[in-house]
Amino acid sequence: MTATGAVGDSPLFLLDYLLRFARVALMLSIWRTLLAGRGAVSGMTLSTVLTYALIAEVFADLLACRTNVEGAFWDGSIGSRFLRPVGIFAQFAAEAGGRWGLNFLLFSVPLLAAAPLLGVNPLPAGPAAAVWFVLSLLLGVSVGLAIEFSFGALAVLFQLNVYAINRVREAVGALLSGAVIPLTLLPWGLGIVFDWLPFASVASAPLRIYTATGNPLRLVPLQLLWSLLLWPVARRLWRASQERMVVYGG
Amino acid sequence: MASIFRLWGLYARMDLLWMVRNPRIGLMWYVCDALVNVSAIAGMLLLAERFAGVGRWSRPQLIFMLGYATLTSGIVESMFGYNVAYISRRLGRGQFDHVLIQPRPVWLTLLTEGFIPFSASGTLVAGGALLVWAGARLAVPASGGWWGLFVLNLLASVVVMVSFAFLWGSLAFWAPRAAEEVSGSALHLLERLKSFPLDGIAPALAGGLLTLVPAGFIAWYPCRSLLGVGRPAWHVAVTPLAALSLSALATVAFRLGMRQHARTGSQRYSGFAHRA
Repeated sequence: MTATGAVGDSPLFLLDYLLRFARVALMLSIWRTLLAGRGAVSGMTLSTVLTYALIAEVFADLLACRTNVEGAFWDGSIGSRFLRPVGIFAQFAAEAGGRWGLNFLLFSVPLLAAAPLLGVNPLPAGPAAAVWFVLSLLLGVSVGLAIEFSFGALAVLFQLNVYAINRVREAVGALLSGAVIPLTLLPWGLGIVFDWLPFASVASAPLRIYTATGNPLRLVPLQLLWSLLLWPVARRLWRASQERMVVYGG
Repeated sequence: MASIFRLWGLYARMDLLWMVRNPRIGLMWYVCDALVNVSAIAGMLLLAERFAGVGRWSRPQLIFMLGYATLTSGIVESMFGYNVAYISRRLGRGQFDHVLIQPRPVWLTLLTEGFIPFSASGTLVAGGALLVWAGARLAVPASGGWWGLFVLNLLASVVVMVSFAFLWGSLAFWAPRAAEEVSGSALHLLERLKSFPLDGIAPALAGGLLTLVPAGFIAWYPCRSLLGVGRPAWHVAVTPLAALSLSALATVAFRLGMRQHARTGSQRYSGFAHRA
């Protein structure tokens, strides 16, 4: 339903695809300018970074893990969602999944097919990397959704504007997660610090596993740990703010 | 001119009152805006620090460009707030009639009604700070001529951004529901691409980013010309010319849309976010 709705309600999704393609083409060009002739930098070669950047865009929706929870707070439909015979988290996750599936089909698959034209190797580092990547991606989505719901509940609990929180989370999360710039390439040792944060478990971990620049035996357990820590927090925050969510009415 | 300053003064007072009425909310918006705008350029800033520049751009030059881009966004936010820049929202929600019934020209209303210098000052301050930092490390000429060209190009970049939003936003006259968010998407496109230096990219892509999606004129091209990064001196006039062309195109499109509006009126109305 959400997949077909995304197409029917607004044709502007095509502009979004244009933006995404322009952005990935620009990032590939920037990386070529920065890393050409340098060899490996912090364990990452030019070829590796290009694959990292491409795959980050291919799986952008899953690595960002955004749902419509802020929209539901804004327009007040959150109240009626609690009446549905489906868990509240499952509802938002399923709707987001529909949107992600459509974007994957219409944008990500063509982008993967165009990778050779962009001079990028889209393949994982090996069969083992591919298997670990799938597991890591699923755990990353789990951590991402827990963060998403926690932020939403905090916005209601502290009576903050959900639109503002949404913007900040989107902007800051992209940087902290390593989806835009590999954390190992950040200056001042920032990457070492960010690597331990839950945001890195959403995007950086699966991407590093895909490109064999990260040890899955360290990254996957860390993702699992964050998942186990954050979901009870998310549930608790929602229980604490549920009454406000319903009463405020948007 | 007196009317313009009088109205700016009025809306600036209203903006200040909004911020101090509930300092917590005002501060939250202020901080969020600043964070979002700094995060938009943080990636390129960090890369510049890590690799001491990007291509032919040294670190101070790149930071100058990023400061310029942030300042351009800050001026657009502070001059054209309350959905004036996001004109398709006003058109799509039938709120343009609020502008038409006022006893002053449409251009005066659109130029003044979105003036929010206090709530948008976070972005202005961030952009200004980056420019000052970078300017102190570059051999920026202290001549009045250079500063005149800087101001001219900065205003031209603002005009490019707003004109692009209005050009696309005019679609909402014909398709109010479908095109309600088109200005937002257009500005989002420019915002996400403005901080990239476009040297060394494929000529077709660079051409596209200087024509169809003029993100290159938000910061890269004017800064390239002002800082003398590999271009002849006369290129400093290109951004103002681009701004003139795009604004003329946007004006034609908007006037055609207004004629359509005069024939059909607003088919839908929603007061949502009208000076909310």
